[in-house]
Amino acid sequence: MESAKNAWKIHRLTTILLIPLIIYLFVRIIHFSGEPYQLILEEIRSLWSILFILIFTVLGLIHMRVGVNEILEDYIHDESAKKVINFLISSFFILILIFVCLSMWLILIF
Amino acid sequence: MVQFNLPDNSKLTDGDYYKLESENKRVKKFKIYRWSPEDDKNPRMDTYEVDIDDCGPMVLDAVMKIKNEVDTSLTFRRSCREGICGSCAMNIDGTNTLACTKAISDVRGDIKIYPLPHMPVIKDLVTNLKNLYKQLKSIKPWLIKQKQEATDTENIQSRNDREKLDGLYECILCACCSTSCPSYWWNSDKYLGPAVLLQSYRWLQDSRDEERKERLKELDDTFKVYRCHTIMNCTQACPKGLNPAKAIAGIKQMIAQQ
Repeated sequence: MESAKNAWKIHRLTTILLIPLIIYLFVRIIHFSGEPYQLILEEIRSLWSILFILIFTVLGLIHMRVGVNEILEDYIHDESAKKVINFLISSFFILILIFVCLSMWLILIF
Repeated sequence: MVQFNLPDNSKLTDGDYYKLESENKRVKKFKIYRWSPEDDKNPRMDTYEVDIDDCGPMVLDAVMKIKNEVDTSLTFRRSCREGICGSCAMNIDGTNTLACTKAISDVRGDIKIYPLPHMPVIKDLVTNLKNLYKQLKSIKPWLIKQKQEATDTENIQSRNDREKLDGLYECILCACCSTSCPSYWWNSDKYLGPAVLLQSYRWLQDSRDEERKERLKELDDTFKVYRCHTIMNCTQACPKGLNPAKAIAGIKQMIAQQ
């Protein structure tokens, strides 16, 4: 894991970046409500939407990863248990990223 | 793993009831935590009735009255009785504070008094603060000059630089803040806690100190500073009205800017 100073900086930076992205996401969801399915698909297929989803996912996952690590440092004092849990959480987050990329790819080709 | 439940031998039981003989209507009940290492008994809550018309206005006055007139075995620390020494820090009515500056009239109903939370108890309201003092020593709470000869002359400081120490130098190290911090409860062996970090910031802010870089390097550690999650219990608990959480934020900012 990165140094304490860097982890703290990354956590703050991703927090700041995620605030406008979350607001934008809510605005988009409200905007989409009641629209036909095909139109929503077209919107998601646009380059901007794909970029937005990828940036949002990566930033969100980094933010969660650093946050979860803080919780682990707080409550898990056994070093080997910490390593195992860290590995499991990292694997889980990588799986989420793969799942999101795969979903985007499926939306694009169908 | 962190232990969330009290061990069996730490569970509280009901203790003795010391009823006041007089018919005075202004009677306040003081429920006080009692534990002695001299027997194998669990800690208990003794209840003492105190005539508040025949007692000083502060909680410490009542506790001293109980010790002097009712139960001489009651053990607690006290010294200055005016909020300067920090000896009488205890948990009163659910808040860590100084018994000498907490007015009896500020508490509605019975007054419950416990030792500072999550600290090893030596006896009754006396806790073991060795770890806190060890941590304080580790941050070198004194002025460090690079050249030895510099200590022979007066250390001049501007008014502006002196003002930076306001809100920091007033700390009396009563440990009310550190013992109110959940992060300190879980990791008191490695996390320095608000009291020590406030002191650390006090020396980081001192314009005369020449060891700022080394001090910050020492603090850049996963545990020493970064266990603070801005819960703010420290600021709320401080009986001197200081803001340790702001000092910790200042340390984090200084480390980030390095």
